[in-house]
Amino acid sequence: MADLHIDGVVKSFGETQVLKGISLDIRHGEFIALVGPSGCGKSTLLRIIAGLESQSAGDIVIAGRSVAGVRAADRNLSMVFQSYALYPHLSVADNIAVPLRMRTMGAVQRLPLVGRWMPGAAERNREIDAEVRKAASTLEIETLLDRKPGQLSGGQRQRVALGRALVRDPAAFLLDEPLSNLDAKLRVQTRGEIAELHRRLGATFIYVTHDQVEAMTMSSRIAVMMEGQILQCDAPDLVYEDPEDIRVAEFIGSPKINILPAELNGGSLRVLDRDIARLTRVADQPGIRLGLRPEALRLSGADSVLTGVVAHHENLGSEVFAQIEVPGLSERVVLRADPSARRRLGLGATVGLDFDIGDALLFDTSGKRLRPVIEAARAAHQVA
Amino acid sequence: MTRDWWKHLILILGALVVIAPFYMMLSYSLKSPGEIDRGEGGFFGRQEMMIDERCVALRDPNRDEVASAAKRFPGLTDREIRDALITEAEADCAMRPAVFNYTMAFTEAPLLRYLLNGVIVTVSIFVIQVLVALPAAYALAKLRFWGREAVFSLVLFCLLIPVHAIALPLYIMLAKLGLTNTYAALVVPWTISVFGIFLMRQFFMTVPDDLIDAARMDGMTEFSIVWRVMLPTAVPALLAFAIFSVVAHWNDYFWPRIVVTGSRELFTPPLGLREFKGDGDGSFFGPMMATATVIVCPLIVAFLLAQKRFIEGITLSGMK
Ligand SMILES: Nc1ncnc2c1ncn2[C@@H]1O[C@H](COP(=O)(O)OP(=O)(O)OP(=O)(O)O)[C@@H](O)[C@H]1O
Ligand SMILES: [Mg+2]
Repeated sequence: MADLHIDGVVKSFGETQVLKGISLDIRHGEFIALVGPSGCGKSTLLRIIAGLESQSAGDIVIAGRSVAGVRAADRNLSMVFQSYALYPHLSVADNIAVPLRMRTMGAVQRLPLVGRWMPGAAERNREIDAEVRKAASTLEIETLLDRKPGQLSGGQRQRVALGRALVRDPAAFLLDEPLSNLDAKLRVQTRGEIAELHRRLGATFIYVTHDQVEAMTMSSRIAVMMEGQILQCDAPDLVYEDPEDIRVAEFIGSPKINILPAELNGGSLRVLDRDIARLTRVADQPGIRLGLRPEALRLSGADSVLTGVVAHHENLGSEVFAQIEVPGLSERVVLRADPSARRRLGLGATVGLDFDIGDALLFDTSGKRLRPVIEAARAAHQVA
Repeated sequence: MTRDWWKHLILILGALVVIAPFYMMLSYSLKSPGEIDRGEGGFFGRQEMMIDERCVALRDPNRDEVASAAKRFPGLTDREIRDALITEAEADCAMRPAVFNYTMAFTEAPLLRYLLNGVIVTVSIFVIQVLVALPAAYALAKLRFWGREAVFSLVLFCLLIPVHAIALPLYIMLAKLGLTNTYAALVVPWTISVFGIFLMRQFFMTVPDDLIDAARMDGMTEFSIVWRVMLPTAVPALLAFAIFSVVAHWNDYFWPRIVVTGSRELFTPPLGLREFKGDGDGSFFGPMMATATVIVCPLIVAFLLAQKRFIEGITLSGMK
C-alpha cells in the first residue's frame, strides 16, 4: 500500500511563485486527474513528486516515508512524459526493458558485450524478456518490438512510453498529458485502455491533463488546479455539480457554464432587476454571481427571467446548443435543448429562458461558493 | 543548368587548385629521378627500367669475389670478369621507377612503424578526448550548478588560444617531468579538447530534457546517462569531431617534431618525410613523395569508407 501525501509544497522559480502551497492526500489505487489551464503548474508539481525538480518548501511523503533528498531513481515511481522521451537508439523491446535492467541487474551484468556472460545474467535477461513481452501484449505492440522509435507512429510511440512505465511495479504512475499528441479517435481509444489498465493493476495514477473530458471520464477524483493552487479535489460528478469556486465551475463543463450577475438585497436574490428567490442564512452583498449550466436552462414563455434573441446554434444530432443574446448581459447565454426544440431556436427568434433556482450555483464576490437556504422560490415566477 | 555554367567553371577551377599538389605528389611518387628533374614523362612517367646506383655500389665486387667467380667465366681476364659481375649487379638492381620509389619508402625508413605510431597516437588522443569531453559537455549542457556559465566562458576563451603560443611552456613542462620522447608527450597535451567539449555541448543542448529525466526515472545515474543515453544519440556529432581530431593529429608535424628528438621509434608518419630531406640533389623526391602518398592513404581510405556518415556529421555540426 503506497499512499502519497503532498504537504504544503511551494515552488518558486526566481521571483515567481509557481506553486503556492499544494496539499493533497492520495490513497493507494486512486486515479487522480490533475487538470487546469496551461501554465498553472501541473507539470511542475508532477516533476516535484517524481524528484526531477526540488520544491522550495513543503514535503512529499510516499508510503509513510518522506522522500526529501531522495533521488528520482530511488523513489520507485514511473513517469510517462508528454513528449514520450523514448531512447532513439534502442529498439522498442530494449526501451521497455531499460527500467528493469537498470533496477534488477548489477553494473557488471549490464556491461555491453561481456555483461551477458556474467553469472546470473542470462537468466535475468530471460526473465526481463518475458516481462517485456507481457507488457507489450497488454498494450498490443508485440509486433513492433524490433523497431526503433523513429519508425513508429505517434500513437505507437505513446504506447511504448506507457509500456516502459508499466513494466515495473512502482508506488505510483505519473502521467503528464500522455494523450496530447494523439488524434481524436486514438485519444478516445487510448483513454479507455489506460482506464482499463488502472482497474486491472489497481495502482495509483496521477494523470495530468488539460482536457477536462479525459479528467471526467477516467478519474476517481479530479484535482482542479489554477495559478499554483488546488481549488478543489473531488469526484468528477461532485466537481461538476457542486464546484467550490467559480473558476472550477467555469473550467469544468463544455460548453462553459453561464454566469449571470446578481444581487442579494434583504434576503432577496435579484437577477436583471427581477426578484428570483428569497434566501436565508446568507449576508446581503452586491456583485454576487449566479452560475447556470446550459442544461439547467429551459425554454419558456414570454414572461421569463431571461429573454433574448438566438444568435447562433449548433445541432449535434442528439442535442442542440443555442447561444442567446440577452439584453443587459455582456456574454451570450448558452442553452442545451432537445432536438425537438430545434424549430423554436431558429436564428433571430426571440425566446424566453427559465430555470429552477435549485439548479443555480451562487458565488460571492471573491468567487467562493455560497450555499444559502432557499426559502421561497421566485416571487416573480408564475409562468412555468 | 546551362545558365549556371560559370558556377561550375569556378568550382572546377577551385577543385583544380586544390587537387594540383596531390597530383604532383602522386605523379612524382611514380617517376624516375631524371624525369622529375627534367619535368617530363606526363603523369606516370615512361616507367623505363632504371638502375639503383646505391644497390650497384653495394654489390661492387672485391678481389675475392672476382676470384671465386673465375670458374663461371673461363678464359676471361680479371678485369673482364669484374665488368661482367657489375653488369649482372646492374641487371639485378634495375627496376621500374614506381617500384623503386615505394620500395625505398618502406626500406629506407621504418614507415610501417611510423604508421603504427600514428595509429597509436591518434586513436589514444581521440579516445581520451571523448572520455573527457562527453561528461564535461553533459555537465555544461544539462546540469545546473553554481558557476556553470563562468566555466563555459572559460571553454570559449580557451578556443581562442593558438597551440603554437603555448607550445614552449608545454614543452618545458613535459621536459621537467621527463616525458619528452615518449608516447605520453605526443598524446597528453591534446587529451582535453575544448573544441570537443564545445561541439558536444552544443549538440547536447538540442537533446530534449525529457529524455534525460526519463532516464533518471528509469534508475540511471548521471554517469550511465552520459554513456548509455547521450553517447548513442551523439554519434553523428562524435563523427564530426572525429574528423577534426584524427585529421589534425595524424597530419601534425609541428608537435611531434618538438617533443620527439631522439629515437626514430617514436616518429609519426609526417616525421617520416624527413628521412628524405637534405639530399639537395633532389634524387630522393620520388621516395619522399611515395612516403607522402602512403601517409595520406589511410585518411583517404577511411573517408571513402565512411563518406556518407562523415558528410552527415559535418552538415549536422554546421546546422546545430
Ligand atoms: N525551469 C523553469 N524556470 C522558470 N519558470 C518555469 C520553469 N519551469 C516552469 N516554469 C513556469 O512555471 C509555470 C508552470 O509551468 P508548468 O510546466 O508546470 O505548467 P503546466 O501546468 O504543466 O502547463 P501545460 O498545461 O502547458 O503543460 C509556467 O508559468 C512556467 O513558465
Ligand atoms: Mg505541462
